[in-house]
Amino acid sequence: MIELYHIWKQYQEGQWALSDVSLTVGDGDFWFITGPSGSGKSTLLKIIFREILPTRGQIVIDGVNILKLADHRIYRLRRTMGIVFQDFRLLFHRKVFDNVAISLYVGGLPLKEIRRRVFNALRLVNLHNRMWDYPSHLSYGEQQRVAIARAVVNEPQILLADEPTGNLDPELAFEIISVFKEINRRGTTVIICSHDKELIRHFGDKILFLFKGKIIGKEVLPSSRKSATL
Amino acid sequence: MRVALSSLWQYRARNFFSITIICLSFLILGVFFSLSNNLQHIARQLSENMVVAFFLDPAAPDREVREVENRIRASASVVRLNLVSREEALERFRKNFPELEEILKNLNANPFPASVEATLKKDAFMSEATLAWIAEIKGLPGVQDVQFNRDWVEKMQSLSRLARAVGFFLGGILILASFFIISNVIRLNVFSRKGEIEILRLVGATNTFIRLPFLVEGISLGILGSGLSLALLYLLVRLFPLYLGQSLGALQEMIAFRYLSLPQSLSLVAGSAVMGMLGSLSSLARFLKI
Repeated sequence: MIELYHIWKQYQEGQWALSDVSLTVGDGDFWFITGPSGSGKSTLLKIIFREILPTRGQIVIDGVNILKLADHRIYRLRRTMGIVFQDFRLLFHRKVFDNVAISLYVGGLPLKEIRRRVFNALRLVNLHNRMWDYPSHLSYGEQQRVAIARAVVNEPQILLADEPTGNLDPELAFEIISVFKEINRRGTTVIICSHDKELIRHFGDKILFLFKGKIIGKEVLPSSRKSATL
Repeated sequence: MRVALSSLWQYRARNFFSITIICLSFLILGVFFSLSNNLQHIARQLSENMVVAFFLDPAAPDREVREVENRIRASASVVRLNLVSREEALERFRKNFPELEEILKNLNANPFPASVEATLKKDAFMSEATLAWIAEIKGLPGVQDVQFNRDWVEKMQSLSRLARAVGFFLGGILILASFFIISNVIRLNVFSRKGEIEILRLVGATNTFIRLPFLVEGISLGILGSGLSLALLYLLVRLFPLYLGQSLGALQEMIAFRYLSLPQSLSLVAGSAVMGMLGSLSSLARFLKI
């Protein structure tokens, strides 16, 4: 469970990227955070990921206040999360396999186990037959699916995605969010930042609306919607 | 290790440049070390075959000559004694300098004095007690002069120390330059792999995991550079006498063209590895704040 208490974030004097944001994300939830550019969506994800610190407020994940984590312990927190970006952030000089396996190399798993998990993650995003290709030989949609496979290969409890469909056409975007839905169905908590109203309307169970760093609304749809969208 | 090796290959142009500089730096250090070794060796050889020649007064009576001989023989530092008569001295001169035969003919008389040649123990040669003993013998009636090549040994030893000091100085400056070059090459490699480092951070890599390949890279650059310099030095030491050929003459036997000793070679490699590691660390500390 992710609990955010009165989060404030200021990058520059007098300009608040986030103002008093409080939110509770339950285990296995599927959240969309939406709002126009500059509304603080990415900042909120970065704070949850402990990439940046809030100016004020507290964040508790599974009972641990992550702001009190020592710097040398942050890597443990990050191994419980996966993150996907709009620009994929793939290593184009490495094959798809290595791009996905990088999450497992850092954990020091045996190669046999790494192969098994990478294959399963790529099968989840339907790219297991492209394992030995270079990312540059894949389409945009496929590249984003590689990024998703990398994020989930470590079987994280939480999956964060910052505008994962921003560069994709509507059809591909639909396909990518379907993958996130499938991952969520397997028990992973998913938080996606997006301003794509069509996607949110179609897939959104729980939606947080941000505007200029403030929460201007929350929408929680009945759980039956979850199965209806699959 | 795999990441470090692939990076060494991927950025081979800049790494080659770095290895070349390290190689030249350590080669200079190695050349001076080798020179110092050779000078030390010559000094040692000179002191091993140390002969003190006491030239006798041609007018000295036999009694004084015997007294001188007995006094020299009595010294514990003397291992061998050789009496050289005036005729033997003349014969030696003729043998060693045949081109000066004419001069001897013009002299009409034998100009060489008889001498007593004392071969000293290796350890005794450089001691002050021996010097005092030589001075004492020199002061005896019947002794005209004394000659020994202590000066040469001292000169060789001084030259050896000088060569080592110059090596340390020049090599030190160049090694410092290599340190900064390694540091900058690693910094460039860090920049080139910024994306990868970013992803590693995101997937929960520890600082050590991120830094290790760069450390391995720095150490590899150092070891490759110094290894290459040792190989080049070996070739130099082997090929230099061939290049000089017979021009060395009698010196050929004295100058052994010695290579670095094993501890010296290992120290150079270990030193370069440490330098590479420190170069990487300094670069990582500044440019890889995680």
